[in-house]
Amino acid sequence: MMTSFFDQFMSPSLLGIPLMALAFVLPWLLFPSPAPRWLTNRLLTLQGWFINRFTSQLLLPVNVGGHKWALILASLMLFLISLNMLGLLPYTFTPTTQLSLNMGLAVPLWLGTVLIGLRNQPTAALGHLLPEGTPVPLIPVLIIIETISLFIRPLALGVRLTANLTAGHLLMQLIATAAFVLLPLMPAVAITTSVILLLLTILEVAVAMIQAYVFVLLLSLYLQENV
Amino acid sequence: MPQLNPSPWFSILLFSWLVFLVIVVPKTMNHTFPNEPTPQSTQAPKTDPWSWPW
Repeated sequence: MMTSFFDQFMSPSLLGIPLMALAFVLPWLLFPSPAPRWLTNRLLTLQGWFINRFTSQLLLPVNVGGHKWALILASLMLFLISLNMLGLLPYTFTPTTQLSLNMGLAVPLWLGTVLIGLRNQPTAALGHLLPEGTPVPLIPVLIIIETISLFIRPLALGVRLTANLTAGHLLMQLIATAAFVLLPLMPAVAITTSVILLLLTILEVAVAMIQAYVFVLLLSLYLQENV
Repeated sequence: MPQLNPSPWFSILLFSWLVFLVIVVPKTMNHTFPNEPTPQSTQAPKTDPWSWPW
């Protein structure tokens, strides 16, 4: 069986133990639970600042009814950003490259926002399907288009995260393999390739953070519309 | 593409939600923020330096 570059995304297991479980459970050791004291150590303070500032900035455009989502959105951000960033280390597995995880997060949360909108303000929620100022003959077509775009949202949300991270990891593996193979043959080219790999790694760090943020931001946007 | 392999599909989904709800959400909830934001006064308050309790 040919080994392909996609093999890095298969569920890893060692001696029958699914290592996916470790990839899921171990990152939370980096987030200690705060002790009941006013002044904590540097790590807890920084994490607390991040959570606090992030949540307040995220919920600024959302009406008060949507503020119930603060906890789930903040913890989702923490979840995604840690999984993404830790996946950049060598020999780690990134669970967010799995479509099942991302779709499993995107679809229920998006559906939650839609159902909240339909339940609490059905007229306004359905009104989003027709932009203001549409010429009358275009109305049926536009409603169809807007409905399709509404249903594509969870798909796009999940696949965006999966594709970005998968593509990044794949590129890194490809370029690293190229640099390694070229080393005995053309060392100068190999060094150039290593520089490209370094730049790509920096890009991947940015992408890891940005994609986690975009996921949560879009969910807050969908919430904004429906609350 | 191994992501489309159906066999660990559901267990990944289930396990990820489980970890999210049981571990991540309570950890985020434990961060409490005791200070209310105060309106700014014209004079900067006098503060003493403190050392971190590593």
